[in-house]
Amino acid sequence: MRRDQAKAYAEEKGIPVREEHGMLHLVLPLPELKVHMRAFKEMGFNYLADVIGVDYLEYPEGTSWQHPERFAVIYELVSMPGFADGDGSRIYPRVYVPEKKPRLESVTDLWPSANFPEREVYDLFGLVFEGHPDLRRILLPEDAEGHPLRKDHSLGETPTLFGEGRYIDPASFRAGLRGKDKGLTGWRGGRRKGERR
Amino acid sequence: MIPEPKELRTEEMLLNMGPQHPSTHGVLRLVVKLAGEEVLDVVPHIGYLHTGFEKTMENRTFHQNITFTPRMDYLHSFAHDLAYALSVEKLVGAEVPERARVIRVILNELSRIASHLIFVATGLLDLGALTPYFYAFRERETILDLFEWVTGQRFHHNYIRIGGLKEDLPEEFVPELKKFLDTFDYRVDDYQGLFVGSPIFEGRARGVGVISPEDAIAYGLTGGSLRASGVNYDVRKAYPYCGYETYDFEVPLGERGDTWDRMVVRLEEMRQSARIIRQALERLEPGPIRDPNPHFSFPPKALLSSSMEAVIFHFKLATEGFEVPPGEAYVPTESARGELGYYVIADGGSLPYRVKVRTPSFFNLQALPVAAKGHFFQDLVAILASFDPVLGDVDR
Repeated sequence: MRRDQAKAYAEEKGIPVREEHGMLHLVLPLPELKVHMRAFKEMGFNYLADVIGVDYLEYPEGTSWQHPERFAVIYELVSMPGFADGDGSRIYPRVYVPEKKPRLESVTDLWPSANFPEREVYDLFGLVFEGHPDLRRILLPEDAEGHPLRKDHSLGETPTLFGEGRYIDPASFRAGLRGKDKGLTGWRGGRRKGERR
Repeated sequence: MIPEPKELRTEEMLLNMGPQHPSTHGVLRLVVKLAGEEVLDVVPHIGYLHTGFEKTMENRTFHQNITFTPRMDYLHSFAHDLAYALSVEKLVGAEVPERARVIRVILNELSRIASHLIFVATGLLDLGALTPYFYAFRERETILDLFEWVTGQRFHHNYIRIGGLKEDLPEEFVPELKKFLDTFDYRVDDYQGLFVGSPIFEGRARGVGVISPEDAIAYGLTGGSLRASGVNYDVRKAYPYCGYETYDFEVPLGERGDTWDRMVVRLEEMRQSARIIRQALERLEPGPIRDPNPHFSFPPKALLSSSMEAVIFHFKLATEGFEVPPGEAYVPTESARGELGYYVIADGGSLPYRVKVRTPSFFNLQALPVAAKGHFFQDLVAILASFDPVLGDVDR
């Protein structure tokens, strides 16, 4: 299986590996992103299924997931079954991108299908892909300001007003749901006392 | 007498097509570079239907998000509900009962048939064939009525819940569905007879917009458009979900990867979907339709009038939602357009931290310039239709 091959390759090169829910995550170092991605391509991962941008700015600490930098770009590589000798292996290499220098190399020369999704990550997160043939905004208008999927991009909501000056502020209501604040229902998130599982 | 021009001046022309044009299947804008009638290059401009669902979903609870999922792909909307639920179920470790899995398969395949009927109807309409459109909509109407019966909605079903389904099938549903299936295969034969073999269709579709398997993979095609190029990749076979591995069905493949193949592959897929539904109907046994775990499944409605605890759980689920353990999950599924999946990141709260939708149309659209280069402008419309893009699926 190419998945085991990729895992062995990662262990040999000292790349952190994490397996969860049957998915193999690999944390590639940013400077050598292209080197490792090329190695995966040569290993037989012929199909790039997705490029996923994530902003880990508000991700809580204390979970088993630790994120060294604010942004992450997760690639989804498939060894396409039904084509050549593809065996259906799927790996999820990722690279962390610092907030100060949000630049990384494009993989469009390895997989042309990275063209649109990389543009999408550039559009919605503001990460610049070096070497991309046509890096323009894709979903938003060209003159749009900001990058809306960043966690600090405002939603532009207005609070719901009730009688006697009381109001519900949507952001603090949701903060309760996220377990950061008491919120409306006084629940801090996480498991409740006396809850059975 | 008018003097003869000394030489004929020719130049390339940039033509803007869309975003408001019926044959673009939504609000797609193409900037086409033309030399006379020949297409030199196509640049798709998308985003006219961008609604920011991914951002919205980060700010709603896991159950509330089922409201948004079907609105992305409004033709095969059930697949989006299912793909989202599967990813979240993986994170919370829900066990979906057998009856719910079978009902999910039945409705998913029904929705796929409805989507393919639209594809055949509008695809042929773009080639100038008006008749199949009305026939296909007759069948589609039956399916939508069936959906309305089960879910209360024709398009945006909102029927799936994390860990199961909203409610059980109504009693009359199965006999009505059987009645529909009895005639359906003959109807597909009828549609096939309406255009396959017609010299006009052969001339417009055969050898037009050819994509080699290598190009198809490189440019990210999935679904029927990929299988038309001869690549045997169907998520239902490669990464089975909902018990698809136990159903007996075939994956129709094309040989040339042209518009003709992409049309006919989907016709055959409708027959296979009907075959899956027939098998699923035989397995439909009475049983529970939701995971009984009260921490993420709503209690049965009948309990609400008799059990205080059920009311409390219902209230908590409706106001706060349920918390999902930190983690990341992705489950690939097969929508009518290709591989569809939700990459869901949870942080331990009851709102998803990030939801990324891998929509097939978005990736399939990248192959359009490859397929259209060198063909006539009139064929561009047919090639575009044969990719079956849904712009809600592209822009999200």
